[in-house]
Amino acid sequence: MKPYSIYIDKWSQGLAKLLQKYDIYAPIKHENYLDYELLTPGSVSAVVYNQPKPSTPLKAFFFPVKENVVRETSKRTKVVIGAPSCDLQALKLLDRIFLEGEYLDTYYQKAREETIVIGTDCLDIQEHCHCTTYGIEPYPTENCDISLAIWDQKVMLQPLTAKGEQFINELDAHDLFHGEIDFTDLLQKRESVRQRLKIHNQNLPDNEKTREGVIKAEDAIWKKYAATCVSCGACAAICPTCHCFLLIDRQGFEKIKNWDTCQYPAFEKVAAGEDPLKKLYNRLANRYFCKFVYKPDMFGEIACTGCGRCIEACIGKINKNEIITEICQHL
Amino acid sequence: MSEKNIYKPIKFHLDKVVEETPAIKTFFLSAEQDFNFKTGQFVEVTIDGVGEAPYTPSSSPYVKDRMELTVMKAGYVTDKMHQLKGGEILGIRGPFGKGYPVEKFYNREIIILGGGVGLAPLRCLIYSLLEEEDKFRKINICFGAKTPADFCYKNWFPELLRRERVHLLRSVDKADSNWNETVGVVTVLLDKLRVDWANLIAIVCGPPIMMKFGTLRLLELGCREENIYLSMEKNMSCGLGKCGHCAMGNYFVCKDGPVFTYDQIKNHPDIWI
Repeated sequence: MKPYSIYIDKWSQGLAKLLQKYDIYAPIKHENYLDYELLTPGSVSAVVYNQPKPSTPLKAFFFPVKENVVRETSKRTKVVIGAPSCDLQALKLLDRIFLEGEYLDTYYQKAREETIVIGTDCLDIQEHCHCTTYGIEPYPTENCDISLAIWDQKVMLQPLTAKGEQFINELDAHDLFHGEIDFTDLLQKRESVRQRLKIHNQNLPDNEKTREGVIKAEDAIWKKYAATCVSCGACAAICPTCHCFLLIDRQGFEKIKNWDTCQYPAFEKVAAGEDPLKKLYNRLANRYFCKFVYKPDMFGEIACTGCGRCIEACIGKINKNEIITEICQHL
Repeated sequence: MSEKNIYKPIKFHLDKVVEETPAIKTFFLSAEQDFNFKTGQFVEVTIDGVGEAPYTPSSSPYVKDRMELTVMKAGYVTDKMHQLKGGEILGIRGPFGKGYPVEKFYNREIIILGGGVGLAPLRCLIYSLLEEEDKFRKINICFGAKTPADFCYKNWFPELLRRERVHLLRSVDKADSNWNETVGVVTVLLDKLRVDWANLIAIVCGPPIMMKFGTLRLLELGCREENIYLSMEKNMSCGLGKCGHCAMGNYFVCKDGPVFTYDQIKNHPDIWI
């Protein structure tokens, strides 16, 4: 598909008009963080583009914190602008879990089908960004309908799906350019970001080495890092691939699908009382086994996309990359 | 939504409740439509507005319009189950999981080792085996309970004893004055069998401690790792391989089990917990 470009003010005007039809979410800067907000005509011009990264992982649009999965709900089509590559890559695993095999999660499927996802290049890096360590590019390559990058006051839109192309045409802007665009500048920027990430994370082991380190790590390491863990589950909540949930019952045989995590006590406790994850350090270790051993074995997909949010969110100051560096140091 | 909603239960009528032991009851359910399941598969049972828990039916999979669930009082949902009297509506999702590969047991000698409420899924299996009894060389059933009063399905045993290919042995940890069978943990029954250990199929279901020592004894006697079938108990929520609660290493017990052969799971550290 050929790319489009449009001046940023015209793009914002087009989005403002489309708010009548869609719920459009995009990153808005707050004092010390960036996060998706439901846009209003007044906030369209405040959207922050091409910056890592919204605090909320993209999964929340398809797998909400709390969802009634028996009573059917009708929702307006959502448009999500500004999904970074780490979150888009995470959808690979979530799609496998919720859509593959005998049991199709129709709520997740509907949300996936009805949401227009506009991925964006990260043209800057944050302290804990490390997507390239796991072979992920810092720009959208798949799992989105449009890839967006801004330079020279222009919004460059590369449609990746028919749904994406249709959305671009709905902007109904007169000066929308459609045709060959010289991407040399963007490609250079991408390369520069990639190099910065590589240098920034040059001592961080890749996913294969991390896997080995996790398998060989002794309990003493998990115990050491679990010392400040308070089982708050923040690392799982903000993780773009964590998918665990609990079905909670409501009258009328309704079920609420509610985020849950192996970091909480009693996550695996059975009725008779046995609990393989009773000890806190076992729960911490389980997180790393799940990300770097179990999920790659089960699905052939990595379950950490290097977003670094778990490091930022941890109130116990547990730094995932410090753990990984330590468990791999003698390999 | 045109696709089936995997989270929505279908309704079953609770016809009656029978007390098996002070801690175990059997719930007799009937469905409006035929319900198909394979032996060893489980269902998720919802008590409306209260909670949901997984159970393997204890009745025959050849009976389609009714289903029996034998439930031990062990936690929040099972406590509420035990308060039901009959006449209520329960929600059922499933069947889930892989169950027992009965066709792999054809022409083999079988040992079924069960303890406590572990007899529930084994009763379902035995009903299945007995539907085609002549396909198995012999069905050795070794059941254990704490005391004679703690056996479920007391009325079922005379029926089993009449079966040509069934060899039933029972043990209790603590006998009463009427008990004239074996006293001891259920694994002592294995020592009474004269069987070709290397070629038989063993199926184990019971409390974790019994599963562990039962399996270790079977291995000592020469049973092959790939011929020992274990029913794993795990915390389950969705039953669909999505919610993560029953994760056991590289498996979701609900989707990849709940029946595993010992060689599939022996390297996982937590199987007996």
